[in-house]
Amino acid sequence: MTDTAFTATNLGHAFGDVVALHGLDVSVPRGRTGLVGANGAGKSTLIKVLLGILDPTVGSTSVLGMDSATELVDIRSVIGYMPEGPCLPLDQTAADFLVYAAGTAGLPPEAARQRASDVLTLVGLDEERFRYLGDFSTGMKQRAKLAQAIVHDPELVFLDEPTSGLDPSGRDEMLDLIARLGSFGIDVVVSSHVLRDIERTCDWVVMLDEGTLLHTGAIGGDIDEGAVRVEFAQDPTAIAQDLERRGASVSQSGRSLVVRYPAGDVYRLVRDTTASNNGTLRRLAGASSSLEELFITHGEPL
Amino acid sequence: MTDTTGAVYDLGYEPYEGERRGRSGARRTIIADGIRRVLGLRRKARRKVLPWGLVIIAVIPAVVAVGLAFFIPGGTTDNLDIASEYGSFYVLGGTIVLLFSALAAPELLIPDRRDGVLSMLSSRPLTSNDYVASRFASVVIVVAAFLLFPQLVLYIGEAGTYADGIFAGFVDAAHKIPKSIAVGAVYTIALVPLAFFVAGLSKRKAIASSVYIASMLALSIIAEALVKEADFAGNQWFALIAPFDTANSVNLWIFDAPDPESLLTVGDIHPLVGLASLIVIASVCVYIVLRRYRKLL
Repeated sequence: MTDTAFTATNLGHAFGDVVALHGLDVSVPRGRTGLVGANGAGKSTLIKVLLGILDPTVGSTSVLGMDSATELVDIRSVIGYMPEGPCLPLDQTAADFLVYAAGTAGLPPEAARQRASDVLTLVGLDEERFRYLGDFSTGMKQRAKLAQAIVHDPELVFLDEPTSGLDPSGRDEMLDLIARLGSFGIDVVVSSHVLRDIERTCDWVVMLDEGTLLHTGAIGGDIDEGAVRVEFAQDPTAIAQDLERRGASVSQSGRSLVVRYPAGDVYRLVRDTTASNNGTLRRLAGASSSLEELFITHGEPL
Repeated sequence: MTDTTGAVYDLGYEPYEGERRGRSGARRTIIADGIRRVLGLRRKARRKVLPWGLVIIAVIPAVVAVGLAFFIPGGTTDNLDIASEYGSFYVLGGTIVLLFSALAAPELLIPDRRDGVLSMLSSRPLTSNDYVASRFASVVIVVAAFLLFPQLVLYIGEAGTYADGIFAGFVDAAHKIPKSIAVGAVYTIALVPLAFFVAGLSKRKAIASSVYIASMLALSIIAEALVKEADFAGNQWFALIAPFDTANSVNLWIFDAPDPESLLTVGDIHPLVGLASLIVIASVCVYIVLRRYRKLL
């Protein structure tokens, strides 16, 4: 069994004159991986190329060690996909659709019915199974979309913006479900433009910006609980220098600083240093996100 | 106060370790889903009205003919001439297949595109060709049932009116079975790929159905005008632009009852040439649909 979820080699894809992916080289280990980037960064395009929906303009990809160009059906036999857009037939009940979704993965009819029932229970739709999907709320549709992605027990599932359109509680429940997929033995690639969603559910990140790779690496190793992110109303260069003189470690991007101060209380340090330099705080994040910092380091913050 | 105690267990997630039928299982599932979909099975009641209405219209004439043969005193295949009706029943059957194709092809192709179900299928062991072929197979199976079931009723009915007994009737009429299958195949080739072509390019079911039926009617009218009324060299070949008329002519030719007024007969075109033209048109339609779906799945 391969250790790699997917690889892309010099991958490029263009929609006419619009370049969506440009020379992407990345190798992602199995586990829970987040694809992060602003809208239009190329996350969905990358997933569609990996699924064989789109052909690469240049370069190549592999999924679970199989070549996307020559072993597409083999790849599709072991993956699941929750698209960002709709994928539910509105004139079918949830139960019928899930049985169909399992059957199209090759499960025999009896097993398909059993899996459909189990997975609808897992995603919290067991009492809605005989309702037509067209009558579902947005949150219920998202759950049904997740259910079809895992009903056949895939090895790897691609989730494209799974929290899109959900209210806060729905978002929490969806993220909890995604976080649990790893314990089910299902590897996950989840795309999102919300950094905290990725931090909460993933242990590896791929950052994209305008079709190019900004950064890839483990998330856990970058987390620094003692850091804060501070945004100022004016150029904070002098404040950054003062913070460093007082023993803090500072990285600057425009008017934003990420400040680390393991020796003491970082909040007091920022408050005192800002006051002594007559600085004006615009924003102070409670605990700096490692991903946010990575974005500051590697590109534009989201 | 009750002494009943209970507990809620989180059964968690059970990995699936059972059989996986892969690509063939996926195709079978899509074919079965297609049959249910076009017949409105496991759908709301209003979705069943049109397909089952057509089924009834297709079967009733055969049932009535056989019933008359049984219940009219002295009624036999000889004096009611049921046997010669096979070809006529196919013309009626062909009309119903035309209407059914107009209904079924959009129902099979358009909702999956509109609702994004193709996205789901892109994570299943399938290619776009598998999908289109499976959808096509669904229609072919239902169309075959449409065409062959009335023939089966006629066949059994005809055998039942034989003076020498039903088994002698079965044997005597057996030579019509291959003809019935051949004619069913001709109508399928003539009508279903064109319906798939229109549905493959349309966004709305009602528009696809309307455009398909209107196109078939328009092609018949244009072909008739050009073949029978126009006066220029080669005008007879325009008979081949009307697939429904061509299929009817081939049908009647197979049953040894050529129609002297048919466009092929008027244009002095052999029915086999007509059959070849149907195969060419069907191939082009299927190719275009497959090309389109290669970009979608």
